[in-house]
Amino acid sequence: MIHDDRKKRLLGAMAEAGIDMLLIYGNAWQADYLRYTTDYSIVEGQALALVRGDGHVTLYLDSHLESDRAEIDCPGLEIVLAHDLVGEVDRALDRFRNQRIGAAPARLLPRRLAKRAQDLQLADQTAFLDRLLMRKMESEIAVLRRAAKLADEGYAVFRDAARPGRADYELIAEIECFFRANGVHHNFQIIGVGGPEVRGMAPPSGRRLKRGDMVTTELTPCVDGYYAQICRTLVVGAASAEQRNAHALWLQSMEAGIAVVRDGVTAADIARAENDVFRQHGLGEYTTSEYTRVRGHGLGLFVDTKPHILEDVTTRIDEGMTLVVHPNTYHPVVGYMVLGDSLVVTKTGCEVLTATPRELFSVAG
Amino acid sequence: MRRGLMGWDPQELPKSALHERLSRLQAAMARENIDAMLFYTNLVRPSAVCWLTGFTPYWIESLLLVHRTGAPILATALSKRVSEWIKSTSWLEEIVNTPRPGMAIGERLKADGCQRVGVLELDALPAGSYDDLGAAAPGVEFVDASKLFAECRRIIDTTERKLIEHADAITCAALDCVDVAQARDAGALLGLIEKHARLAGAEESYMAVAPNLDADRRLIRVSGASPLAARFAVRTSVAYKGNWVRRTRTFARDSAHMQALGRADAWLTGFASSVAAGVPLTEQLAASLKALPGAELKSWMAESSIGSYPLEVVTSSRHRGADELSHGSFVVLSVELVIEGMPWLGAVPAFVESVRQHL
Repeated sequence: MIHDDRKKRLLGAMAEAGIDMLLIYGNAWQADYLRYTTDYSIVEGQALALVRGDGHVTLYLDSHLESDRAEIDCPGLEIVLAHDLVGEVDRALDRFRNQRIGAAPARLLPRRLAKRAQDLQLADQTAFLDRLLMRKMESEIAVLRRAAKLADEGYAVFRDAARPGRADYELIAEIECFFRANGVHHNFQIIGVGGPEVRGMAPPSGRRLKRGDMVTTELTPCVDGYYAQICRTLVVGAASAEQRNAHALWLQSMEAGIAVVRDGVTAADIARAENDVFRQHGLGEYTTSEYTRVRGHGLGLFVDTKPHILEDVTTRIDEGMTLVVHPNTYHPVVGYMVLGDSLVVTKTGCEVLTATPRELFSVAG
Repeated sequence: MRRGLMGWDPQELPKSALHERLSRLQAAMARENIDAMLFYTNLVRPSAVCWLTGFTPYWIESLLLVHRTGAPILATALSKRVSEWIKSTSWLEEIVNTPRPGMAIGERLKADGCQRVGVLELDALPAGSYDDLGAAAPGVEFVDASKLFAECRRIIDTTERKLIEHADAITCAALDCVDVAQARDAGALLGLIEKHARLAGAEESYMAVAPNLDADRRLIRVSGASPLAARFAVRTSVAYKGNWVRRTRTFARDSAHMQALGRADAWLTGFASSVAAGVPLTEQLAASLKALPGAELKSWMAESSIGSYPLEVVTSSRHRGADELSHGSFVVLSVELVIEGMPWLGAVPAFVESVRQHL
């Protein structure tokens, strides 16, 4: 059981770091710290958990619906339905005054609890958990492989659904149906439809596909809590020479980034390799924050986990980390274009997890 | 994250409606001597900001600042490239893109000379935002203004009602696609319902199922192959343009049981249409159930949107809150019955329109 592996690793690390108890916050957006420490995946409302060094976990939920589900999904936890979530946990913390408590993610902790940092021995232990979240165990990587396979299958569904006249949200409806039937609880997905006027991706706006449009998407299915991502671009009808040339550049950039991935490099090394390709083609401007957010990022229990692949991020890349490398950005002639693959870092390189061909796809226009 | 249709249609959500809501809030702020109000929003806590501006973040966090006069200001961790998207989904004229919204808003509070600032759900404000606010605006007094906001928020206007009704129509149509005779796999069934909802323009859809109602009445998330028993229940929660509705339906394959379930469905629909303000919900339920012979009430819950959550429990058999609902408010009523020895779950939306003094 993957949760048993995580729990054993967590408790060992807590003992080693001298942490008696963890105070963990989670919601459906930032669910990774909570999932790692409790195995609960929250949808509605907010959660706080007290994770003791002896392995006892009390999970506080402010939603009736969530507490019912938690009792079934996580029978080993003590579940507390707390209508006044912050007040209930505030009172519970009084019982642990003489213990060393670590909090994560500290920046999202309700401020009433964070205010007690000195009254309690409450310290920010976000970095402590980040280390566990970033470097995956073999059982975690196995789940990510399954998620990546479903990302490939999901993209095939997306491609099949794309045709002139369909609205962007209809494509996503098809994928969600496929995912619910195939073991994917959640999916992070944004989309872009159009030409040079499209400067990024966002949720669907109702735009209908037409001949000549580029359709970009970042598809990120979540399997047993773990997200794998694929980024691909397709063209409605035949791709133009400009679109094909741009895609060739994106491919060169992504492959340059993937080529430098191995244990011991930094996130900056990967970003630099990707961006150098753009600079060599006179498009260095389009690697800046004016046009793109990141050149890839970590994957795991959060869709956008650390490290961010940027030239100013010096985080060491370790064996067992899982990343997506994606030189997604704007092209001044054809518009926003994406291409990205998920991978796991090995001692000497990486294993690419997604297998969809790195093509600029065309669908009948 | 949100991945369904998001967009602002001024016909559906006219600026005049947003102006009216803002004016109501600003008048309350003036009465309470509050210089400005702050609203934290993320995809789990989007509703207050959406009610005021139409904006729902599809991920990451933002802070909305409302002064006693003038238009709201959004500080968001969404990048500058996303500003046009934000404007296409909402009525927001001033957007500040910053990795630290708390710092940007704090600087604005200081520059504007605000002294007393109300915060929706102050205790739950993330520590990072609060610390940034405090650092940038050290002299400002932050006070909880959740009650003030709830008073302004409670009454549903015509615009909101239409959007809720649209969300409910999507939900009903999605549940209507269930072919109880054919349904054997929970994952496939939930996928189909969700697909119907999203094709109809749902911004978001949460699905849950009690796959074997006789064994367990609690609803869970299911994806992937999972068997459905002869009696099961499905809960579908749908957002349309930030307005949330839930419905739960119980399904049975055998015709004898379908009849009893149909009686319970009809009872709940009738009850929802007659829920009144001014009388405890428990009393109304007890009185109404007299018209449903063979039914025993096991649990109940009323949810509404009064703060940042799309739907939160205002009163239930497990938590007695404001037991008397407000006139003009909107609730989702969830009820668990045993009828003729069979478990039954139902949830429907209700507008509290009438006021009764006595049953």
